[in-house]
Amino acid sequence: MKIAILSGKGGTGKTTLSMNLAYMLKHAVVVDADVEEPNLELFLKGHVERTLPVFKSYPVIDENKCTLCGACGDFCVYNALLPARKGVLIHKELCHDCGGCAVVCKQGAIHYEDRSIGTLTERKVLDYQSLYTGRLSVGEVSGVKIIETLKEIVAEEPFVLIDSPPGTSCATVAAVEDVDYAILVTEPTPFGLSDMKMVVEMLQNMSIPFGVVINKAGIGDDSVTLFCEINNISILGEIPFSKEYAAVYSRGGLLAEERSEYQDYLREMIKHFPLDIAEDAVGGDR
Amino acid sequence: MKIAVPAKGMTKADMADDRFGRAAYYVIYDSETKEVYGVENTAKDEVSGAGGQAVRLLDKEGVKVTLVPEVGPKALQAFKAFDIKAYTYGKDMTVEAAIEEYEAGKLQIVETESHDGHHGLRRA
Repeated sequence: MKIAILSGKGGTGKTTLSMNLAYMLKHAVVVDADVEEPNLELFLKGHVERTLPVFKSYPVIDENKCTLCGACGDFCVYNALLPARKGVLIHKELCHDCGGCAVVCKQGAIHYEDRSIGTLTERKVLDYQSLYTGRLSVGEVSGVKIIETLKEIVAEEPFVLIDSPPGTSCATVAAVEDVDYAILVTEPTPFGLSDMKMVVEMLQNMSIPFGVVINKAGIGDDSVTLFCEINNISILGEIPFSKEYAAVYSRGGLLAEERSEYQDYLREMIKHFPLDIAEDAVGGDR
Repeated sequence: MKIAVPAKGMTKADMADDRFGRAAYYVIYDSETKEVYGVENTAKDEVSGAGGQAVRLLDKEGVKVTLVPEVGPKALQAFKAFDIKAYTYGKDMTVEAAIEEYEAGKLQIVETESHDGHHGLRRA
């Protein structure tokens, strides 16, 4: 069972919900797939078990074989290869590692070499729960490869929570692909609703069942609630806006550990999951 | 010799664009025949690497000089790889004014990039 926690807008509370669900559901393996700015480790404290580099391939041209026919450049939609007058320019960071250019090259002039684009760290946190963090190196364009590697590592785990990148980028799609359920965190503001609509469309296109959590309830307006009612989207729960909660977050605290009513919000939320998801989730309820 | 200017439209009277790789059009001026024509920039909506593809497009048109508002590292590499010279013009200028300044020898040739590169269309 894999559950992704995601949001349209950044700063709605994905990570806050992820860490607190992780605390409540002791059997959960946790994945921080927000590889551009992973921060779950600041809250789920523990020790590092291992850190591994993540590699991505890029094309290398054999100039003796290349006839500058341009087929590789025509093929690559990301323009990682630019056939020019004297040779083919390679932009390693634009390569998405699909392997297509070597297939279209009739001269057999293309092979691939690896380079490191980031890291993957395994930690033991809380009561010996595993937290896997992906971290994309500064200056790199795409974290998709790191997210795919994270998901390969947890593929056989029975219960996984995935803290996803915000928005609807390729990285978000990679994080939510093949999950059993998605929790869409939103704030009840026009901005929150606008970005949430894009995620709803993405999840529907991917046929992923999902429910909405309204975080920071009490601010903004009721447009998110109305949108969910009209579109028959399940609202799993609401967590009120509170300066005290923000203060706990700011010093790296876990709300579920410090505030009993926050545990109640989460328990209530889990009850609203679809039955099979809820059963798996409460397997490790505190 | 053909000279290209990134532009908001397809004529000399249009404004020169403030971006190179993602400009909508290029106005191409032949300094020998005085002929002027516009081409659509088919690279402008590329997810990444628009600058390089735009240079490739201009090379296919036989362009030898491009006037640019500014130039990033990848486009500069591409200009060099295609043997196209790049000169920078100032802000808020028509295509015609940019070409006049070039012909009067007032524009600076580009040797190093003027910005660190953009980040595509954020779809990558």
